Amino acid sequence: MSTTVVVDEVTRSFGRTRALDGVSFTASRGVTGLLGPNGAGKTTLLRMMATVLAPGGGRLSLLGLDPAQPEDRLAIRRRLGYLPQEPGFYKHFTAFEFVDYIAILKEMTDRRSRHDEVRRVLALAGLTEVSGKKIRALSGGMRRRVGLAQALLGDPDLVVLDEPTVGLDPEQRLRFRELISAIGEGRTVLLSTHQTEDVGALCSRIVVLDAGRTRFDGTPRELRELARGRVWLSDDRPVGAQLSWRTGEGRHRNLGTPAAGVELIDPTLEDGYLLLLGERALADAA
Amino acid sequence: MTTAPGSWHLDSALVRRYVDAATDAVTAASVEAHLLRCAECRRSIAAGTVDSASVARRSAIWTDVVDRLDAPRVGLLERVLRRIGVRDGDARLLAATPSLQLSWLASLLLALGFAVAAARGRDTAGALFLLVAPLLPVAGVAAAYGADVDPAYELSMAAPYRATRLLLLRSVSVLVASLGLAGAAALALPASGWSQAAWLLPALGLSVTTLALSTRLSPALAAAGVSLTWVSVVVRLLQLDRTADIAGASTQLSFLVLIVAATAVLAVRRDQFDTRSAA
Repeated sequence: MSTTVVVDEVTRSFGRTRALDGVSFTASRGVTGLLGPNGAGKTTLLRMMATVLAPGGGRLSLLGLDPAQPEDRLAIRRRLGYLPQEPGFYKHFTAFEFVDYIAILKEMTDRRSRHDEVRRVLALAGLTEVSGKKIRALSGGMRRRVGLAQALLGDPDLVVLDEPTVGLDPEQRLRFRELISAIGEGRTVLLSTHQTEDVGALCSRIVVLDAGRTRFDGTPRELRELARGRVWLSDDRPVGAQLSWRTGEGRHRNLGTPAAGVELIDPTLEDGYLLLLGERALADAA
Repeated sequence: MTTAPGSWHLDSALVRRYVDAATDAVTAASVEAHLLRCAECRRSIAAGTVDSASVARRSAIWTDVVDRLDAPRVGLLERVLRRIGVRDGDARLLAATPSLQLSWLASLLLALGFAVAAARGRDTAGALFLLVAPLLPVAGVAAAYGADVDPAYELSMAAPYRATRLLLLRSVSVLVASLGLAGAAALALPASGWSQAAWLLPALGLSVTTLALSTRLSPALAAAGVSLTWVSVVVRLLQLDRTADIAGASTQLSFLVLIVAATAVLAVRRDQFDTRSAA
């Protein structure tokens, strides 16, 4: 499997804030999830993948090309699909017109074949019925789907999705997951989220970012296994648990260093993530 | 056609010509009337239309039909632009321009209307108009493209389309629209002759300067700087009762020089628009 994304000791500061502090990882075909608390640097990193932001330091290679070189950057953009965290819309446009607008920016000059492509991605995102509706009349979830539809134009090799499932109801999230996993079958998809369920359901690789640094790089199973032997149930709140909460069944679920003889249970991906980030992740979840 | 009544069939040469759309309308109509009744000929027609050329032609026709039926009705501005000969892709790119929206153009008209009304019946007829008219295209250019005003700016940056081309396309259209409106309003001014057109070169000069400065500053900041400079110059001239100087040959000539210089800066630094965000 060829490597499509190489991030090597990448840094970036905004004023005095160090958004990325030497991040390194690689990604290939399939879905790679960037997981981390708010402010971890996920969006900064994804904007670099989308060629709209340059690294302050370090090396970045996308599809074997160097985004710092104008010719390479253009070549990357021709094979890129991007859903920003807050995609802006022209609200007086219909869903069709907006996606068609982006298709024009993607150099699809022939009107008929471009319209065919627009219809194809609108159908993929389940928007055929509302394609003639103005964007201002669409719900937040529908707009998110318009954002996803435009990211699929031209069948890109590299798809960058910043929080694609935020603001969606559970049913829509499920549809999105289905769609994104289908996209990831032949392409490289990079997505960010702070929801561990999304990552568990979708990603073959997980990169955990925290405070601008890589904290974990591996499979969902490996992240889950970090918590193996460190999750247990008890009737009362135990001493020595890093985290402990009362579940719906009335027992306490505890993460941390267990005493001998406790009732250990199978960890989840979220357990691994919480133990990895500790208090910071908890503060974010609160 | 073979002619035994009830049992005749289309001969293969006719089928061929019909498939290639090489028959006249009357023959085609009688072939079609026969096809409705004869399953065997329908089969032979189907067999005769599988070659790639006719399949491609039919699928092109079908795509066109679907496109005409399915493409949603486009907005008013886009229809107007297409009517005056703008290509459909460019019309869509222009229809997204914030400062080409009806609401923007309406407020332009309002501003111009006030300026004309205020200019009527005063000694300094036209001075207020001179002050306002060049500022409108400057504001329009600043509101045509950029991170501050274009909601889909981030998406456009990640697309291969050249940012410079998009910016210029939009700026030129905004200039044409706002200069056109200002020109129409100028006709309503009480003054006549050259003074009625004295605002034109300053308007162009200030707009191109705004664009040139935008290669370094944000368009809003560039427009604010240019506008402030213009306002202070005109106010100073008003105080000295020398607004007529603006229509003078030397001032007009200096604006011409400004246009040439700013255009040159823009041409040299145009790539900045493409690399700015990635810098």
